[in-house]
Amino acid sequence: MLKNYFKLAIKVLGRRKFFTFVSLFGISFTLMILMLITAFLQTELGSDAPMTEKDNLVYLPAISIKRAVKDTVVERDTSYQEGIMIVDSTVTYPERINSHSRSNPSYYFVNKYGRDVVPAKNYSIYNNSSYDFFLNSKKLTFRALLTDERFWEIYDFSFVEGQAYRKTQVDNGEAIVVLTQKACRQYFGQESGVIGKEVVFEGQTYTVSGVIKDPKSFHVYVNAEAYIPYTNLPPAVLGGTGLMDGFEVVYQAHTPADIPKIKKELEHRANLFEEFRDDYATYNRLEMMSYTFRERYADNLYDEDDDPAQNLKTVQWLLIFLLSLFVILPVLNLVNLNISRIMERSSEIGVRKAFGAHSSNILFQFVFENVILTFIGGLIGFILAIGMIKLINESHVLYETTLGFNFKIFFYSFLICLFFGVLSGLLPAYKMSKVHIVNALKQNQR
Amino acid sequence: MISLQNINKVYRTKTIETLALNEINLEVSEGEFLSIMGPSGCGKSTLLNIIGLIDEPSSGNITIANQTVNGYNSKDMAHFRNEKLGFIFQSFHLINDLSVIDNVELPLLYRKSVSASERRRLAEEALLKVGLKNRMSHFPAQLSGGQKQRVAIARAIVGKPNIILADEPTGNLDSAMGNEIMNILLQLNQEEKTTIVMVTHDESMARKTNRLVRLFDGAQVS
Ligand SMILES: Nc1ncnc2c1ncn2[C@@H]1O[C@H](COP(=O)(O)OP(=O)(O)OP(=O)(O)O)[C@@H](O)[C@H]1O
Ligand SMILES: [Mg+2]
Repeated sequence: MLKNYFKLAIKVLGRRKFFTFVSLFGISFTLMILMLITAFLQTELGSDAPMTEKDNLVYLPAISIKRAVKDTVVERDTSYQEGIMIVDSTVTYPERINSHSRSNPSYYFVNKYGRDVVPAKNYSIYNNSSYDFFLNSKKLTFRALLTDERFWEIYDFSFVEGQAYRKTQVDNGEAIVVLTQKACRQYFGQESGVIGKEVVFEGQTYTVSGVIKDPKSFHVYVNAEAYIPYTNLPPAVLGGTGLMDGFEVVYQAHTPADIPKIKKELEHRANLFEEFRDDYATYNRLEMMSYTFRERYADNLYDEDDDPAQNLKTVQWLLIFLLSLFVILPVLNLVNLNISRIMERSSEIGVRKAFGAHSSNILFQFVFENVILTFIGGLIGFILAIGMIKLINESHVLYETTLGFNFKIFFYSFLICLFFGVLSGLLPAYKMSKVHIVNALKQNQR
Repeated sequence: MISLQNINKVYRTKTIETLALNEINLEVSEGEFLSIMGPSGCGKSTLLNIIGLIDEPSSGNITIANQTVNGYNSKDMAHFRNEKLGFIFQSFHLINDLSVIDNVELPLLYRKSVSASERRRLAEEALLKVGLKNRMSHFPAQLSGGQKQRVAIARAIVGKPNIILADEPTGNLDSAMGNEIMNILLQLNQEEKTTIVMVTHDESMARKTNRLVRLFDGAQVS
């Protein structure tokens, strides 16, 4: 019986080429887009190395200083009591932000206020920089992160050769560098065997101490071509007393549940801050802007709100909305197509029932057709998605980001398509299977 | 073979109540070829549909092939139609997406314990009887009206039913093609002893059958 329905479905789909084409296109395209988006999110926001600790991280990339002034507001209420005017006045002092400045903290600031945040298990201080240099008379730019040794404890980069710099090397300000494979290829024309060789950035020579694998994902505050001990920075940077410069801190919590504690502690430290002097003498409020990994990612896309958690929510909802749109629109189209197609087949339904088909036979037939259609669409979508991911990875349109195919997500997306495929066939088929035979035969006489 | 007692059929719409059939009593014996005539709207199709169990009477009793079908549920009726009845319609009602042979096989799909090869064999046999075996893999759109109706007859007889119900089977055909269809039905009646009830507007067709029943305004007049 099932074999029959299968053959019938294939025959009908083959005969209705336009319907089949449109449906297959809708299903496979929806699946492909869904797969691409989720693959992208997975690599960007997933916990692949070096981001295994991702969910335990809190970033302090910025501080914000403000001048708050108190306004005096007097409100008068007039009322009449026994013909005499009575004036009631209320005085309030609302706060108003008069001036506002936001930037990365300086070494001075993070060194004095950012260390030893108790709820955190570990932390790393680093500076985001870049070096221009000439190689074979071609100008190249390497992005560099100038970090402490703890950086390598928080992110688990995998080393192709050599190793990360240790505490003593950082403390001694040794001129050493860790390069990515890609940077090695660019600089030396080879991806390994470079330990002990020297690179020259802006007149200063560094000895290569390690080479790391190119990470799949890309985040400016994690990825760079070159990693150098921060103690190589000029004394003016490390010895200054300004509040703002190019530093940031990443804190590693024991568990995600400790993250709010870290944020609270930073907030507490900001409230106690009193060092408003020199350029900042007129300011009187300081805020330490801390973000979780996801919040920071979302903040890059959308930062309308002051609260990073709120921005993350907005971005998440927007994403869910867009994704559902991607699914819902083709599905609605499919439902619509299915309804008109099944209505067209009213005479067929009448004939089948007259010759002994029961309503359940009819229902099953139509649902089965849709299931077959969805399976074929799923297969095409699968091939399309794999092809597109390969194409994107090879063409490097997303720079260093390398997409992977997520079978679990594909399975779920497929289930969604199947669900709507069945539903879109079921509803009209159910309606039609209940139609009185005589009426079904009267419609669309051919 | 068929026995109708005091059959009434009332159609109620908001504005009007139509008595489509009025106290019909009819006996059709086994192997009989009966034709029904009457002006348009007198209730011929309604009567045929009630005999065919695809419409229910408002009141009255029906006995077909020695079974009283009052009180059958929809599943029983579907089963009964599948085993005992074959339908031929004025407008053919072939399924355009299916080939001729697949159209003919259709009633057997809903019959358990008929294998695919057996279905095929029976369908080919039925097509042979209507002279269309060479058109097996054509699609309905590639056939003339007369050929379509012959496919429809093959579909009606493939399950070897006791009774064939034909509602104006020649109504959409010219007289030459109509005669061809009529001859097939007569042959079926004589050789296979199939009981046939046919609605027609054509006196000459009706005269070829065993008996003629005339309806007028839902009532039997002769
Ligand atoms: N679904 C319905 N609702 C209301 N009235 C109906 C319905 N079906 C049929 N009728 C009415 O019942 C009467 C009999 O209809 P029927 O189709 O049996 O006529 P007929 O004799 O077959 O006519 P024709 O020769 O034109 O096919 C008609 O008056 C028709 O208007
Ligand atoms: Mg009629």
